[in-house]
Amino acid sequence: MIKTGNFSKLIKSTSQVVSNSYKTSNKAAVIGKKDVTQPPTLLLTNGNLAKSLPTGNFYVCSGPGVTTQVRFAHTDINVPDWSSYRRQDKKSTESEDTRKNFTYLIAGAGTVGGAYAAKSVVTHFISSMSASADVLAMAKIEVKLSDIPEGKSVTFKWRGKPLFIRHRTGSEISTEQGVPLSQLRDPESDSQRTQKPEWLVVIGVCTHLGCVPIANAGDFGGYYCPCHGSHYDASGRIRKGPAPLNLEVPTYVFADDGSLVVG
Amino acid sequence: MALNSTLYNAIFKRTSTFVLLAMASTFFFERTFDLSAESIFRSVNQGKLYEDIKKEE
Repeated sequence: MIKTGNFSKLIKSTSQVVSNSYKTSNKAAVIGKKDVTQPPTLLLTNGNLAKSLPTGNFYVCSGPGVTTQVRFAHTDINVPDWSSYRRQDKKSTESEDTRKNFTYLIAGAGTVGGAYAAKSVVTHFISSMSASADVLAMAKIEVKLSDIPEGKSVTFKWRGKPLFIRHRTGSEISTEQGVPLSQLRDPESDSQRTQKPEWLVVIGVCTHLGCVPIANAGDFGGYYCPCHGSHYDASGRIRKGPAPLNLEVPTYVFADDGSLVVG
Repeated sequence: MALNSTLYNAIFKRTSTFVLLAMASTFFFERTFDLSAESIFRSVNQGKLYEDIKKEE
C-alpha cells in the first residue's frame, strides 16, 4: 500500500526568496514567433487549384444525415486579375461597328472573289459547248444576186446541202401565185414561200428520200427528182410524185448591197 | 465612327443587303480585273501578238 504519509517529505516544498545583487534589466532583443503553419493558399493558379481538389482514393459517405456534396471549383474561385491586360482608355462598345465592319468586309471580299471564280468556271465550260469559229464561218453564205440571170436556178453548197436560188421570170411568178391551194398536197401560198417574188430560195433536197432534184425539169417547170419522179413547181412545192412536202425554205435576208445572205 | 455605324446598319446588318452588295461589286470587280489582266498580258507580250504582226505585213 502506498500511504500519502510516506510521500509527505518529498512533496513538501520550500518557498523562499533569496535576494541577490542582480537587477532585472530590459530585454535587449525580441525574437518573434516563427510562423510554423502555412498561410492558406490563394486559389489563383492551376497548381493551387489542383492541390485543393481531393486526390487519391475517394470515399463517399452517404446517408440521411450525411451531406454528399463535393465542392468542385466553380463558385469559390477568385476571379483572376486581368487588369494588366485590359485597355483602360477604350470601351469595347465604341469600336464595335468598326470591328464588325472589318470582319464583314473580309467575308464580302471573299464572296466577291468566289462569285467571280465560279462565274469564270461556268462560262468556260459553257462556251466550250458553243459552235467553234470554223463552224460559224460555214454557217452563212452570201450570194451576189446580180450574177444570176433571170429564169435560171443556181446551186450552192450551204451547210453540206445543195441550195437552189432561182431568179424567176414574170410568167413563172404569175403562174405560181395563181395556183389554188386546194390543188396542193402541202398547201402553201407563193407569198408564204418567198420574200421577194423574183427570188426563190430552197434547199435542194427532195423531201421524199433526199435526192437532189434537177432544176428546170418536170411537168411543172420547176424541179424534178430523178430518183422516184417527184415534180416540184417553180415555187418548190410538190405537185406530183411520192414526195410528201414542199422543198424546205431556209431563213435568208436580202442585204442592202444587192446580195442575199442565207443562214 | 458615324461612317462605320451607318455602313454596318445599312449593309452588313442584313444578309440580303450584304449579298446584294457582293453581287453588285462582283460585276465591277470582274470588269476591272479582266481589263487589267488583259492589259498586263498585252504589255508583257508586246510585239508578239497577232495585231502587231498584222500591222507589219
